[in-house]
Amino acid sequence: MTPPLLARLLLLAFAAESEFEFVAGDLLEEFHILCRSHGRANARRWYWSQVIRSSAALTSLRMRHGDMAHVAAAAGFGVAVPLLLLDRLWTFVYSLIPLKEGLDRAPGFLAANIVCAAILAAACGATSRSFRRAAAIAVTVTAAAAFSTWESLGATPFLYVCSLLTAAPAGALLGYRSKGKLS
Amino acid sequence: MAKGETLGEFEHLILLAVLRLKTDAYGMRVRREIAGRTGRDVTIGAVYATLDRLEEKGLLTAKLSGPTPERGGRAKKSFTLTGAGVEAVNRSRRELESMLEGLRFPLPEGRR
Repeated sequence: MTPPLLARLLLLAFAAESEFEFVAGDLLEEFHILCRSHGRANARRWYWSQVIRSSAALTSLRMRHGDMAHVAAAAGFGVAVPLLLLDRLWTFVYSLIPLKEGLDRAPGFLAANIVCAAILAAACGATSRSFRRAAAIAVTVTAAAAFSTWESLGATPFLYVCSLLTAAPAGALLGYRSKGKLS
Repeated sequence: MAKGETLGEFEHLILLAVLRLKTDAYGMRVRREIAGRTGRDVTIGAVYATLDRLEEKGLLTAKLSGPTPERGGRAKKSFTLTGAGVEAVNRSRRELESMLEGLRFPLPEGRR
C-alpha cells in the first residue's frame, strides 16, 4: 500500500530538504495505520488533505531554512541581473554603431549573452547540495532568463530566445553534475 | 519578558504533547496526540513548522533515530524538552492559573 504518487511529488516540491525525510516518513507511517483502520480510500484522501493543507507551513519552513532564498538568489542575482546588464551594455554599444539598429543584427553579442547565461547558470547549479535543488535552480533560472529577455523580445531573433531558455537550465544541471564528478 | 519568549497557543500544545509522549515524541505522534486530545485536525506541516520554531528558541532538542520499514526506510526525528522548555511550560501554567483565579466555569452562554 503506497500513498498517491502525485501527492508524494507535491510533498517533495513543498518540503525543505532537511525536513522531507521526516515528514514523508511520518505521513507514510500514519497512512499505513489509517489503511488498516479506515480503509485505503479514506487513507488516500487523508494523505492528499495533509499534503495540500501542509503546503503553506512547509513552504514557510523551507524559506526559514534558506532553501528558497538560495534558489531565488541564484536565479535573480546569478543569472537575471547579469543578463539584463549585458543586454543593456550590448544595446548601448550597438547604438553607437551607425546604420545598424536592433540586436537582431548583432549575432556575436547574442551568442556572448547565451554563453554568459550558461556559465552563470552552471556556477549557480554548482552551488546546490542536491539534485532537487539544482532542478529548482534550473527552473527558476529559465524563468529569470525569460524575464530578462522579455523587454527585448520583439527585437531579438526567436532562435536566440530558444537557445537562451535551453542553455540556462542545461547549464545549471550540468554545473551540478560536474561538481559531483569533481568532488 | 521579551516578546519572543512568550508561548503561542499552538506552541504550548506542542510542548505539552512532547512532554506527554516522553521519549517517543516525533511529528506523527505529536500530531495524533494533539488531534486525539483536543479534536483539532492538525496538519503535519503545522506540527513540523512549530517544532522547528521551538527548537530554534531552545525549548526543544531533537535527536535522529534510524530508518524503519514502516516508514519506508526513512529516519525519525524525536524531540525532548530542554530545561528552558520545562521552564516555559511551568511559567505558562502559572500565568494561566493566575488569570483563571476567581473565575467560575463554565461561563454562562453569551456572557461578555
